[in-house]
Amino acid sequence: MVKRFREIFQQELPFFIGVPALVWQVLFLYVPICYLVFLSVTKVDVDGVAFTLGRYAEFFQVPYLRVLLRSLILATGNAVLCVSVGYPIAYYLAVRAHARSKSLLLMLLMLPFWTNFLVQVYAWFFVFERQGLLNTVLMRLHIIQEPLYILNTTLAIWIIMLYCYLPFAIMPMYAILEKFDVRLLEASYDLGARAWQTFLRITLPLSMSGVMTGFFLVFIPSFGEFVIPGLAGGDKQMFVGSLISHYFLTAGDEYTGATFTCLGALVLATAALTLRYCMNVMIKRVR
Amino acid sequence: MENQYGISRVTLPMYVALVYAFLYIPIMVLVTFSFNESAFSHAWKGFTTDWYVQLWESTEVWDALQNSFIVALGTVSASLTMGFLIVVCGSYTFLGRTLILFYGSLAAPEIVTAVGLLSFFTLFNIPLGIITLIAAHTVMGLGYVVPVLHSRFSELDYNLIEASLDLGATRFQTFRSIVVPLMAPALLSVGLLVFIVSWDDFIISFFCSGGSAQTLPMYVFSMIRSGPTPVVNAISTLLLFITGICVTTFLSFRTRMGGMLW
Repeated sequence: MVKRFREIFQQELPFFIGVPALVWQVLFLYVPICYLVFLSVTKVDVDGVAFTLGRYAEFFQVPYLRVLLRSLILATGNAVLCVSVGYPIAYYLAVRAHARSKSLLLMLLMLPFWTNFLVQVYAWFFVFERQGLLNTVLMRLHIIQEPLYILNTTLAIWIIMLYCYLPFAIMPMYAILEKFDVRLLEASYDLGARAWQTFLRITLPLSMSGVMTGFFLVFIPSFGEFVIPGLAGGDKQMFVGSLISHYFLTAGDEYTGATFTCLGALVLATAALTLRYCMNVMIKRVR
Repeated sequence: MENQYGISRVTLPMYVALVYAFLYIPIMVLVTFSFNESAFSHAWKGFTTDWYVQLWESTEVWDALQNSFIVALGTVSASLTMGFLIVVCGSYTFLGRTLILFYGSLAAPEIVTAVGLLSFFTLFNIPLGIITLIAAHTVMGLGYVVPVLHSRFSELDYNLIEASLDLGATRFQTFRSIVVPLMAPALLSVGLLVFIVSWDDFIISFFCSGGSAQTLPMYVFSMIRSGPTPVVNAISTLLLFITGICVTTFLSFRTRMGGMLW
């Protein structure tokens, strides 16, 4: 019996040394997520554990829907902003920059990207504060008379979100544009196309996959973001992430928290798929 | 030819400079103010290194630094070992077909994974702490390690492995003297990437540490919340510095590997 066991073990050795990663991944990612879904549809009362969709129904009320919508707008808007602000940068780095300045510029782009985002958020406090850099400069230049209150407003959230997520959008667009054949541009110009025509008909369509990757790399984490709205927006407005962390950490209500998390994830997935579909349709139109 | 590139010959570099200024002005202000004498107002009072001295003497910071370091090292070793083994063994067994399961972990928003893990740990009454943090971060780490190593491994010249086996080397010898050296650059660079990811992570740590094992980002967060002092600037400056070193090392590996991972 023991011998048979050893034989199996030796024959299947690659399986046994390879399998821990799979176990780990399933145990600590897929099982917890399934458990979360399970929690979201159960209720515990005197009768014991029972199935319920009631808590999902409870979330179909204006205040909660407003939270979902607000996060959706923030995520979409931030993704659009990051992609449109970032595209020229990616283009410049990939197509225009000289080899030497390129590696330096890339490094300078990676540095804030890998810096802790709390540090990034905190850095903006010094710019936005009442006596901060922005107000000081604007008042010295006599553009404004009274200091602006930007901290703890929606504007602060948007600017800091753009700041933190911009590199996420630039990187995939850069990766695509770097493989872009510059001779296509020359061909287009030689054939008499104008700069904007070349951009719309050649450069943009060929780099669209990078744009989409960048869009979703920003869109998905932005949706659940709770630290930036909390710190920069002064917790004045609830976002999906802040409500989730409220249920789990402050209220200690796992069941409601799980329901809202699953609802949020559903909304996110639906929105992402819809957006992707719309983008694909648009790309086909342009072509 | 050159001038056909049109309007953007001047506008584009100017725009790029502007965006880089946007990226760097806050960071530069932050670093400058870590040397500011005044603790409360944000006006410049004078140069001092007091905050760094305070930082040096604070036991909380050292504890947080130690926790961050242990968690990051634990995460790197666990995810690198397990990820590498499943990638290599995947080519012999059905495990190769399960690798797709590792590609999904980056698509799920981090907060979902975090609250899922939190409820999971609570269900089994597992006390939250460094161990749970490493377990959680390793899932994130595998999400980077497996895809990167898999793509690298499938580019390897399989003839080398076959030759080694034909010449009588055992599977273990082949693994040790053929596969590992060939994969070393990828292992190093993805290891560094995972280190930075774990080192910087806030969301998962925030949910899965239970407050008992404070990592550096969590410490920074609580300080910002409770009214920041220039000590936070000093920590932030140090973090920037550490990240700078990591990024430079990472990029030098990356260039040697021919630009994988963006």
